[in-house]
Amino acid sequence: MPVCSSEPVPARPNANGLKTMPHSNEPAVLLDGIRAFIDPAHVRIDPDSGLNYGRDWTRLYTPNPLAVVLPGSVDQAQQLVRYANDHRLALVPSGGRTGLSGAAVACQGEIVVSLERMNQILEFDPVDRSVTCQAGVVTEAVQNFARDHGLYYPVDFASRGSSQIGGNIATNAGGIKVIRYGLTRNWITGLKVITGRGDLLELNRGLIKNASGYDLRHLFIGSEGTLGLIVEATLQLTRPLREPVVMVLGVPDLDSLMSLYHVFRNKLELSAFEFFSETALRYVLKKGLHRPFDVATPYYVLIEFDNLEQLHTDTALALFEQCAEQGWLADGVISQSESQAKELWRLREDISESIAEYQPYKNDLAVRISRAPAFLAEADALLTREYPDFEVLWYGHIGDGNLHINILKPAELDPAAFITKCGAVSEHLFGVLQQYGGSISAEHGVGLTKKPYLNYTRNETEISYLRAIKQVFDPNGVMNPGKIFDSHNDA
Amino acid sequence: MKILVAVKRVVDYNVKVRAKADGSGVETANVKMSMNPFDEIAIEEAVRLQEAGKAKEIVAVSLGVAACQDTIRTALAMGADRGILVETDAELQPLAVAKLLKAVVEKEQPDLLILGKQAIDDDANQTGQMLAALLGWSQGTFASKVEIGAGEINVTREVDGGLETVAVKLPAVITTDLRLNEPRFVKLPNIMKAKKKPLAVLKPDELGVDVAPRLVTLKVQEPPKRQAGIKVDTVAILVDKLRNEAHVI
Repeated sequence: MPVCSSEPVPARPNANGLKTMPHSNEPAVLLDGIRAFIDPAHVRIDPDSGLNYGRDWTRLYTPNPLAVVLPGSVDQAQQLVRYANDHRLALVPSGGRTGLSGAAVACQGEIVVSLERMNQILEFDPVDRSVTCQAGVVTEAVQNFARDHGLYYPVDFASRGSSQIGGNIATNAGGIKVIRYGLTRNWITGLKVITGRGDLLELNRGLIKNASGYDLRHLFIGSEGTLGLIVEATLQLTRPLREPVVMVLGVPDLDSLMSLYHVFRNKLELSAFEFFSETALRYVLKKGLHRPFDVATPYYVLIEFDNLEQLHTDTALALFEQCAEQGWLADGVISQSESQAKELWRLREDISESIAEYQPYKNDLAVRISRAPAFLAEADALLTREYPDFEVLWYGHIGDGNLHINILKPAELDPAAFITKCGAVSEHLFGVLQQYGGSISAEHGVGLTKKPYLNYTRNETEISYLRAIKQVFDPNGVMNPGKIFDSHNDA
Repeated sequence: MKILVAVKRVVDYNVKVRAKADGSGVETANVKMSMNPFDEIAIEEAVRLQEAGKAKEIVAVSLGVAACQDTIRTALAMGADRGILVETDAELQPLAVAKLLKAVVEKEQPDLLILGKQAIDDDANQTGQMLAALLGWSQGTFASKVEIGAGEINVTREVDGGLETVAVKLPAVITTDLRLNEPRFVKLPNIMKAKKKPLAVLKPDELGVDVAPRLVTLKVQEPPKRQAGIKVDTVAILVDKLRNEAHVI
């Protein structure tokens, strides 16, 4: 397995020009220092914890953290960041560890900072429709909390039961409802963060409007742990869908897919427009799900809308008829109950898990919605031509221009050789993506896996600004070093 | 063979049910209602029998408020040929349901009745059995497999410790268990077709049935909240707690 290809744990003069204080670099001594302010039971060095907490869902890197530390309060977290500055220790913030880009991987002797003990919901305000919680709260717990109060937290995705709010914010998580509700960014009205310098900042304090200078909150959203630790968040909630209805339609080609998108979006308020290919569906069926209907088509779309009144279902039926006449769809089903809606969702949501055993190489691309079919066709043709022995699955949130491409590892190919080959695929694919003005990461983040390709989406000048911002918040480079980009000291 | 299937409109399986504040029942205002899942299985079984050429006509019957028409339309979209709604705003208890269904059976003269083994709202598990008794028909309850023979049906039932197969003579009542089949999704074109299928509306009076409730609900309350679990550090502590706190070993 490849190891992280970034700089070692930094040991440089700090911003004040002071040399690192003379100390023993013995890990045991360093950790004893942490045990002075965090209960020793929560400073773990056993190999199981290291393996478990030292990585996310990627399996490309060998975890090798120095320790796993679980602060129990904002104060402890702040002391930890200050301690890391004093001793030049690298910290890797860790949430639910469901990330897909290696941003939460610790493979070069870092200290993993897990906030899972900080999992309390602190405050609910029904007038503001907001909830304030610690960063370690599991996404689904927030969703359930909102539901129990007659409200809805609309950021949703398959890993909701494991992922944590802090991680959602650090990656600006998207998911399956973006078409209607936008990304995590849209739902964060306040953040409490500890910067890489060790300062505690309260950003925006739950305000809807706040035009008093730079909105630092938005820098932390999507920062992948490189600017500081997110310790608390205030989330906006909204009215729940009254009665989500799900349709799955069989689609003959990509152009039809876009026609359907156009037609359905014009007439209905869609809360999801997802697509998956027949090749992807086959893997879900292998896990025991059933075909939605007998006809197999190259592509499927899953459309969800809120049936506020019977009228909307009637509209959907009329649109179905109209699109069928145009030849844009071959067949389709519609949920008759919430159970059926959930079952139909599984056809799309279970794909990722159903292919996990084939060690897929994942890419998470974004293009403008209007350009998605053309890009997809060109990319698919390229892959078929250049890599005929690879099985390529496409699925994704096409309603917001987000395509997930998964390449399954051929059984006979050695994992390392596969990864090398996929690196070449990425170069190819991103070349096409660049022509379409797309992004190498729609929602998974850059982390380690996309770091070599950042320049396909951001030019050197832009990256120099990113580095400068990092320098402001984290001058000593203690926060998640080597993720997104290598810091300028080492570049 | 003509099959009659009863379908009930219930609070959707996925809805988190809440007791009304006054303890008189379950909150149903603004709550998603769907077909009882066991009745979906009943319709599915009837449609499969029809597709296999074993049944000629499927009639879906629902009893209750006007909105039960939606439930019947779902049954029609799944493949039933026509629907009957016995419309009433009265509370219907299993005995009244059995009597109403008996009256419909006398009008329709089906050979086979397929019902869900119970509805997920009241979990009574009585209607099928009462109905078979009232009609004097054979019954095969908790069916996990149904095989049609000549004048006879083999019904496999899931019982404690294994499977029991009973042969029932037609006419018969079958009630469905969870593993009988997996109901299909409703195809959009079939919803269009279902709108054109006949749906007759009757009143309990026309059928000469008194539906007045015989049972009085004293109180409906939510189950006590579960206490949160704890993590223990060692097996020894676990054993100690199981022995001295939980008293289970």
